[in-house]
Formats: sequence, structure tokens, C-alpha cells
Amino acid sequence: MPDVAADSSASASGGALVPFVPDTEIAVVYPLHHGLKPPITRVSISWARGNNLRVSLLRNPPYNSDSDGEIGGKVVEVNLDSGAADVREPVQWRRIAYGSVTPFALLQSRKNSASSLSKLQSSPSPFHLDWWEHVMEYSKDIKELLGNPKSNYDPLIEDPKEVLKKGEEPTSLKAAWELMEMFYADKLCQSWLPERLVDWLADYDCLLSGDQPTVHSKLVEFQGTLVTLQVIEDDPKYWEVISSALAIGWLEIVVKLLRLHGSYQLDQLGHRETENGLVETVAVLISMMPRFRPELKNGKLGECFEAKPDFMKAWEKWREQITKLDSSAFWVPCHHRQTREGLKNLIQIMLGNTKILCTATAHWIELYISHFLFIRPFTAGLEGMYNLAQKCVQMKPMSSPHKLLRLIIGIIGENTEVVLAECSRGFGPWMVAHAIELLTARSDQADILLHKEHDDIGGISMEELHRLVYAQVLTSHFLTWQIAPVYLTSCMKQGMSLLEFLLYRQPAQHNQLLLKNLEICRLYELDHVSSNIMKIAGVYHWKHGRKGLGVFWLQQARDEFLLNKIARHLFDSVGKSISSESFKQWEGLIELLGSESKPAGSLEFLHKYRDFKKSLQQACDKKTLDAARHAADSLMSLMKNPSTPQRFWLPLLYDSLTLLTWPGRPLLNVSQTNLLLNKLQELSMASMRPGFVATDLPAEALNSVRLALATNLGRAILEEQ
Amino acid sequence: MAITNLPKTPKIHRIPQPKFIDAIRWLSSPSPFQKSFITSLYDSDFHTPSLEIHSLDPSKTLTTALFSWTPPSRISSLKSTPSLFAASTFLGSLHIFKTPEEMSVLGNDMSDLGEEGVSVLVLEKMGGLIWLMRGEILGGFLMGNGLVSYSAVKWASPSEFVTGGCGFGLQWWDLRKSGAAVAQFKGNWDHGTTSGIIHSIDIHPSRKHTCLAGGSSGTVFAWDLRRQQEPIILSSIGSSDTMTHPLSESEVWEVQYDCYTKSLNSNISSSQILPAMICSEDGILAVIGQGEEPTELLAEPCAINSFDIDCQNPSDVICSLEWESIVILSRP
Repeated sequence: MPDVAADSSASASGGALVPFVPDTEIAVVYPLHHGLKPPITRVSISWARGNNLRVSLLRNPPYNSDSDGEIGGKVVEVNLDSGAADVREPVQWRRIAYGSVTPFALLQSRKNSASSLSKLQSSPSPFHLDWWEHVMEYSKDIKELLGNPKSNYDPLIEDPKEVLKKGEEPTSLKAAWELMEMFYADKLCQSWLPERLVDWLADYDCLLSGDQPTVHSKLVEFQGTLVTLQVIEDDPKYWEVISSALAIGWLEIVVKLLRLHGSYQLDQLGHRETENGLVETVAVLISMMPRFRPELKNGKLGECFEAKPDFMKAWEKWREQITKLDSSAFWVPCHHRQTREGLKNLIQIMLGNTKILCTATAHWIELYISHFLFIRPFTAGLEGMYNLAQKCVQMKPMSSPHKLLRLIIGIIGENTEVVLAECSRGFGPWMVAHAIELLTARSDQADILLHKEHDDIGGISMEELHRLVYAQVLTSHFLTWQIAPVYLTSCMKQGMSLLEFLLYRQPAQHNQLLLKNLEICRLYELDHVSSNIMKIAGVYHWKHGRKGLGVFWLQQARDEFLLNKIARHLFDSVGKSISSESFKQWEGLIELLGSESKPAGSLEFLHKYRDFKKSLQQACDKKTLDAARHAADSLMSLMKNPSTPQRFWLPLLYDSLTLLTWPGRPLLNVSQTNLLLNKLQELSMASMRPGFVATDLPAEALNSVRLALATNLGRAILEEQ
Repeated sequence: MAITNLPKTPKIHRIPQPKFIDAIRWLSSPSPFQKSFITSLYDSDFHTPSLEIHSLDPSKTLTTALFSWTPPSRISSLKSTPSLFAASTFLGSLHIFKTPEEMSVLGNDMSDLGEEGVSVLVLEKMGGLIWLMRGEILGGFLMGNGLVSYSAVKWASPSEFVTGGCGFGLQWWDLRKSGAAVAQFKGNWDHGTTSGIIHSIDIHPSRKHTCLAGGSSGTVFAWDLRRQQEPIILSSIGSSDTMTHPLSESEVWEVQYDCYTKSLNSNISSSQILPAMICSEDGILAVIGQGEEPTELLAEPCAINSFDIDCQNPSDVICSLEWESIVILSRP
């Protein structure tokens, strides 16, 4: 973790007597919140999902069982550093993850519609001509997410001695994003890329001041001593800071610092007139510097020229004025040595003296920027920029370049692989997955490279690979797994199968979570997954005693197999005899099994069986003919129904022996009795076959039913005659 | 031809939270300028639940928590009345607070506070229901013979309540008549693979014969006790008679009568359903009325898990989003 080391060393050197920077990585302490009482006897550590460590803490078992009511141990998870960029807080990461979903999804849907449109028109390019505008919109949304625009160098500063305004600390993640945007997506700034880089450095120079001082850190340091300085122009630091700021084009700060020069004070103006004139002339010249760019932000100094000839003319004129000042006679009466030398130094910077520029700047990128400003304002094309960068790196070599600097080299070197690797190494999977959209915005070469399918990684493209990696990170946290489907579905080859896997892996016990899961299935039309999930939930609830909920989910899943099994189970538990207690139990369950309008195999049978049992009970209780007749009708409809399983025929008939031998008059007519006898015959035939499941009814059951039926037949024949 | 009840768009304040919000409720406050609300939060990094009261000044900035308490497990349900609030946990404990000190602790899962006094209804996972008053268990029901799970409950009067569960079923119970439900509604519309669970019930204090229910597949309907077999569907995928397209096709997590929105129909009879507010899994917060086009107040890219209308100042609505943030709407 280079950042941790860098930050702590920077602060340590401020307070400690001996600044100590260890070579190895600094040990990071992760606090554990376990809430157990002190004597913890055993600790075990294992990996949990994602970047989490699972720590199990066990206390000594209490000697007497009712000692303190304390729990005997706890398992806690520790989230290790996500290892990406300088956004350390998981909360912040999640916010970025949440916020980037909508822009990403919007861009993908636009891409899909654009590619289907281009297929229709059979145009050679897959995208519209204005595709980069969509990408810019996307980039703008993402940028907003990464932090507010920094307003460090506000001209309307109340405190005249406050040179650097403290704004929100920028993140290197945003800095990297802006780099990618300006080089790959933003078509408008292509003609003035060097100046764009000047702006970029103005915003993010502070990020580079880790192991090596930067102009920004020099300014911050000087700002601290500024209040205590009596005669500012006597301090060599003053002139050093001014020349550094000028070298990287922070003109407002330079002019502001120059105007702090002692000769401006009213009591000294009289005898330092020439000196003051010189300072003011330099300040005016600096503020009039021609810039090769369309516009400048409010409060920034310089004169903008968009057309090259205009700029050339102005540039020449400006240089002429500087040369004239350099050789003017006013330097002789200027007695203040530091002012004279300092101003001369500034003039040399403006005239593009490489040696002085090199001493005024710290990092190679600062030197690079100063080249754009004062030596080669017309640098154009990535090749030229790359050569210049190489030259600057040689002049200011670095032992361990900052990740942003590595990224810049990759970008201007036009090496897409390096850019991807640096993004992934320095800024994590989020950055890669989202920045690929920028990479492919205009460059066909990058487009081909990223969309080429690689056989060694399962036939997927680089783009898909990085999206899958990011989706993997999202799924490792239970608050972000719900947004992983957005990324998974944008992966053509492996996305859907991984999404199914992800959905199956979610726990089924929480109803709300389950419903959210099913909602994702609905959105992506994964009907088979949702029915499987419902089956899992059904079985879970059934096993945990919530039979109603279990049946409900199985029914939703239309799982005939399990429902039949449950029905059989139900039948087995109550089918033997009519016990009112258990009957009530499963009557409620059958009630829940839903409306009769939806036939569900043996469930429909159970409904009918329930009705039959009810009426049989009534018949036995009331002993009235009507009730008995009703029960007999129920029996007939059950026996006639093809959904009634064969194995229930005999128990049904055995249960209704009272009906078959109803005193007074037979309840079933001849044809009905014949039908029942036929069924019985069929049953006896079936019992010969293998695979027949014998019921655990008494052995004489078949015979007694047969006898009862025969008796009934006889009575019915007599009745009908 | 959308007829909107609100000509101006509401003011929306988003307050990101560092934790997941399980539930959110307004609390009544003595001053109209100082509003306060209670949230049950869950810290995903340390796996710790918490219950916090925050107050909100007119600029809608959040103060530090006025009251914070760590429950034994995650909060499953949170209800509030003008004088107190109750929270139930997934472990099965019920905590009733008289702002802000704790009053009593009992066991269970999902609760609804009665309007008068402290009578609390608690639903058990196994299908039981317990009726409490001032910390004493006054009665218990074992509904559906202990087999059926109920997912929502609401007091209709001091002695009556309504439960809702799977298959869009609603049951009307009377404490004076124990045993079975007084009235029952069995929803018989079914959309194949979608589930049919009722998530929330609301009953208007002036129309106790009608209960409003919201659940799966964007279904919101009203059940009138006087016409038990004819539910009035306000929004649903299957119905084409009431509206051209359903407001939402996913789970409706919460429904509440919205007394702020006035119905367009001037002849409001007692059978007319009053406007209701809903929030859904697909990120919609809207007001629907019978036979009217719904008014969408908020359309978020993530789910809106719960909301609450301030009973003192019904123009203010607070809702909790899936992506760890709170949204406060001030309607014009």
C-alpha cells in the first residue's frame, strides 16, 4: 500500500525528530468488534467471501451452566483493505458503485440500440458519428460521483496572504478518470491537449507529493511561513516558489505572490520606484501570456488564442516584449539583489530556458508541463508528446513513479495493455470496468483489442473479463450484490450463467431478500431460475416447520413432484383413520393449498379428499340420511376422478365402510357399486405387478370392502326393482 | 393524458447514510420547525444493528443521533404513534419505547401499534398472533392452525384487526370472537410465476370497513367488508379495466392512505377509495386513487423499501432506499 506509507511518512517528518520510513509495508491494524467478555481462549482465522477474513473467537465454557448468561463465542468478519486507489472507506466505495450503475446501464442500452441501428443500415462503423458525445455524458456522470470539482485557485480570496486555497482533497481515482476522459473520449480538447494537461496538473499536483516534493507541496510549505516573514523579498524561498509556480503555469499565484513584494508598500514606494516598476512589468507580462487554447476558466490569467496563426503572432510579440525587458536599462538602478535575480530568473523561465525550468520543477510531469508552456507550445500528436515525455523522464528520473504518472506514460505511449494494467493495478476493478467505455470511445485499435475473444480465458474478450471481475467484487458484499446483475448481463458469453449461479447462491430464509431475488429473475426473464429459487425456499420453509409458507412457494414454483410428495405425506399421516385433531391440522394446510380452480395433481385430490372426510365425519356424527348421501357423492366423485392415485382407492373405500353398510337403505345405486367393484378388481390386478405399493391397512381390509360392496350391490338391486 | 394532482414537483432531499436502512418512521415533535424521525439501521461492515433518532432542521441537514440504541438483532418491523414507538427484531424480541427511554421488552416478530393506548399486535413466524397491552399479554391466537404465515397486520379498531398473507389473502379478526376469522378474502387472481404476498395493510380511521392492501406484482387493492367478494383493484398487472398500464410490476412494500392528496372526484361517497401512497421494489413512490392516473413522486434506480407520511404535516414524506440513503420529500 504505497499510499499509506506515503501519507504517514509525510506527517511523520513534520513531527518526529528522526523521520523514519520503513522499507517494508506498514502493518495495518483492523479493529475487531466482538463484544465478548475478556477471557478468550481460542481464536481461529479463515477466509470468508470476498476480501473478508472470518475470525472465530471462543471463550472458556462456563463451569456452571447458568453462570453469567454470556455467549460462548462469536464469529466476526473483518474486511481487509479493498486495495484500490485512495478511496479507503467501504461506504464511499459503495456509494461510487451505486452511483455508477445508472450511467453504465444507460450507456450500454444506447450502445445496443446504436449497434442494432447500424446493423439495419449496414454501415461499416458500429457506432454513430456522435458516439463520443454519449460517452462524454457518461463520463460526466461518473466524474460527478468521484468528487466535486476542485476550486483551489479562486481569485476572490479575502486573505491577501493566502496563496493556496484549501479545497476538497482530490482523489487520484478522479484524477485518473479525467486523464482517461481527456485522452480517449473528449473530442473537443484534442487540439489543445497540452493546455488541458496544464489544467489537470493544476488540479492534481498535490496528489503527486508523496515521496518527492512537488510545486504544490513547496507552495504549501511556503504558505506556512508567509505570515512570519518580515521582508518577503529577502527570502530566497520566495523567489524559488514564484519561479516554480510560473514554470507549471500557475499564473494567478505568481502574480499574487509578486504583488506581495515589499516595494508595493506605500511607505517604500517612494525610494523603490524602479524596483516596483520592474516587478509590476513582470507581473503584467505574466498575466498577458498568450495561451493556445479556446478558453480559460474564470479568474485564470493569460490570453487565449484558438487559431494557430493568431497565437503565433501573439507569442512572438510577447517573447519580444520579454527580451526587450531583459535587456532594458532599468535593471541597473535596481539595487535589491534578490529582486533583480529573481525577476531575471522569471524572465528566463518565460523565455524557455531549459536549465532553469529543470531546477524550478520537481517531478518530470512538471517539467513536461513547463515545456508545453514555454518551449514547445505547438506539441501535437501523441507521438510528439511521448517523445517529449521520454526526454523529461530522462532529465528527472524517479525511483518509484506515482501510479498516475505510470498511467500517463501508458496513455501517451498509446499502449492500451499498459493502460489497462495500470488502471487495474492502481485503481482497482471498478476503474477498469468503467474506463473501458472511455478507451473504446474513439480508438478503433483499442476497440479491436478489447473485443477480441481470447481462447485462453474461456473465449471471452478483455472487456468482458474486466466486467466479470468487477461483478465478482460486487457480489462479495451483501449490499452490492444486487447491482452485479447489471454488469453480468452486459457480458455476452459468461454473464448469464454467472448470474444464475449468483442468484442460486443467495440465502432463502428471508422473505424480503427472496422476493428481491425473484424480482431480478423477472427483470432478466430467468423464469427457470426463479422457479428453482422458489423450490429451494419452499423446501427450506417446509423443513423449518413453516408448512404453510413451504407449500405456498412450492405451489408458486409449480413443483408437482414435491407437492405430490407432500400430499402423499399428508395422506399417510391422516389417511388411516379420522382423528379430529390431526384432521384439523391438515385441513388448514389444504385450505392454504389454494383455490380449486387450479388443478395441481394430487393436491386437487387432497381437496376432494378433505371434502369427503368432512362429509363422512358429519355423516357419522349426525347419522342423517342427507349427510350420508352427501358423503357418498363425495366418495363417488373421488373414485371417478382420474387424479385420485390408485394407492388411495382401498383406504378410501375402507374409510367409507359405514357408508357402504348404511342401515336403512343403500346409498349407492347399482352402476355406482359396479364402478367401485371394478376399481377394486383393478386394484387386485395391480397388486400382482411389481412396483405396487401396499398400504398398511389390516389384511382383511380388501375382503371387508369387497363384502360390503357386494352387500350393497344386492341391496341396490333389490331397491331398484 | 396524465392529470396530475401536484402542479409543482416536490422538493427532494437526499441524505446518504453509511448503513443499510431497514425501516424509517417519522416521530411527532413539539416544534413544527424541528422534525425528527427514527430509523433502524444495519451496519454491514461490523454486522451491528442500531436504532437511531435524528432530528431535521428546516435546511434538511441531519444532526447527530439524538438517541441511539443497539437492539439484539436486526429490526424486522418498526411502528410509531404520537407518544411511542415499537420495534421488533428478527431474533423475536419486541421493544417498546416511550420517547426516548425503553419501556418494555417482549418476544416476537412483526408488530402493529393500536391507536388507543398501548395495545400491540405481534405476528409470529409460525402463524401465531399475540395481543399485548401495557406490557401484558392479553390474548393470543393461533391462526390457520399454526400452519399459515401472515406477513402483515393492522388494527382496525381497538378490538378488530386485519391480517394479510400468502395468495393475497386477507382476514378480519375480532378479539371478542376468538377462534376463526370474522371475514376472509381469498384473492383468486394469479400471475403464474409471480408470488402473491401481501406486504402492507392500511386502514383509514374514518373508514374502518375498508382495508387497503399492497403486495406482489404491483398489486394494490381495497377490500370492503360490505362487499367482501369484490375487491377494488387500484393497481395490478392483470387488470386492464382500471388503468392502461400498471404503476409497478414488482413488490409493493408499503401502502398508506395519503391524506394530503385530494381526490379529483368531488362526489366522494363512502365507497370511494381515498388516495393512497405506495412504494415499490422497482423504485417508485407514487400516489394512486380510484379511477385516476397515478402521480409518480419519485422514480429511483433502486428499491424504495419503506416510507412514512408525517401525520402532523402530511406534505412531508420520508423514505428509505435500498442504496443506503434516505430521501425526504416536501410536497408543495
